[in-house]
Amino acid sequence: MNENDELDLLDRRLREAVPYIDDAGFTRRVLQALPAPRRRAVESFRAMILLSITVLGSLLAYFLSDGGRFISEGLVKLAYGAPIVMFLVAIASGLVITGLGMAAALWKNQEFGS
Amino acid sequence: MELTDADLVARVLVDDDQHAFGELVRRHQSAVRGLLRQLTRTDFALADDLAQESFVRAYKHIRSFRGEAKFSTWLYRIAYNVFREDARRRKELVGINEEQLEAEPDPQTVDPALRQDLMHALSLLPLHERSAVLLCCQNGLSHDEAARVLEIPLGTVKTNVLRGREKLKKTLAAWGSN
Repeated sequence: MNENDELDLLDRRLREAVPYIDDAGFTRRVLQALPAPRRRAVESFRAMILLSITVLGSLLAYFLSDGGRFISEGLVKLAYGAPIVMFLVAIASGLVITGLGMAAALWKNQEFGS
Repeated sequence: MELTDADLVARVLVDDDQHAFGELVRRHQSAVRGLLRQLTRTDFALADDLAQESFVRAYKHIRSFRGEAKFSTWLYRIAYNVFREDARRRKELVGINEEQLEAEPDPQTVDPALRQDLMHALSLLPLHERSAVLLCCQNGLSHDEAARVLEIPLGTVKTNVLRGREKLKKTLAAWGSN
C-alpha cells in the first residue's frame, strides 16, 4: 500500500469513526435558550409611523401646491401633446417600475442567501 | 418535499420562525456537537454547552448569513469561535493553561485500552492540526472552507492537515507495533 492509499484509508476511517449523536433533547434545550421572537407590535408601530409620515407629507405637499394644480396642468398638457410623447412617457414609466421591481427582487434574493 | 437549509433560513429571517430554526438545529446538531467533542478532547458536557451557545449565537446573528458558504460551514465557524472564546476565558478565569489545548501528549503514555482508537489518537494532536484534520478529513470541508472557518491562510490549513495526518498515521502505526 503506497502512502496516498494509506492516507485515503485514514481519511475514510476518520469519517467512519464519527458516530451520529442522538439529539436526546438537545434541540429542545436550544429552542428554550433562544431569545423571544421579535415582537410584532413593535414592527406594526414602526409601520404606523412610516404610514403616518407619508400621509402627512402628502397632505402638506397637496396644500402647498395649491391643491396639486401642477399635476392636473401637467396631465392636460400631456393630453394635448403629441401621441408619441404620451407613448414615450408610458414606455419610460413601465421601464422604471420594472427596473425598481427587479432591483428589489435581487436585493431580497441576496438577503435571504438563496 | 424536504425544505433546504436556505429555505429554513429564509423562514427564520422573514417570520422569525423558531420551528424552522429547530429543524436546522436537528439537522446539524450531530456534526456540530461531534466537532466540539473532538476540539474539547471528548469533554462531552462542555462540548454540548458550547454547541448550545453556538446555535443560540447563530440564531441571533442569522442575518449575517449571506448564503455565500454552506450553512454548515457558517455554523462550524461560529462553533469554532465559541470554542476559542471559551478556551481563552477559562485560561483567564480558572487559570487553565493553554498548553492543555495546544500541547501534544506523548502517545506512548496513553492507556493501552485506548490504543487503536482513532478518535483518541486524533485528540492527541495539537489544536491547530486537530481542528484542520477534523474539518477537512472528517467533516469533508474543502481546504478553502476550512480556512474560512479557522480564519487562517489556505496554505496554513494545507500544512496543518498534512502534518496532522502524518502524525496520526505514525501514532497508529506505533500503537499497532507495540
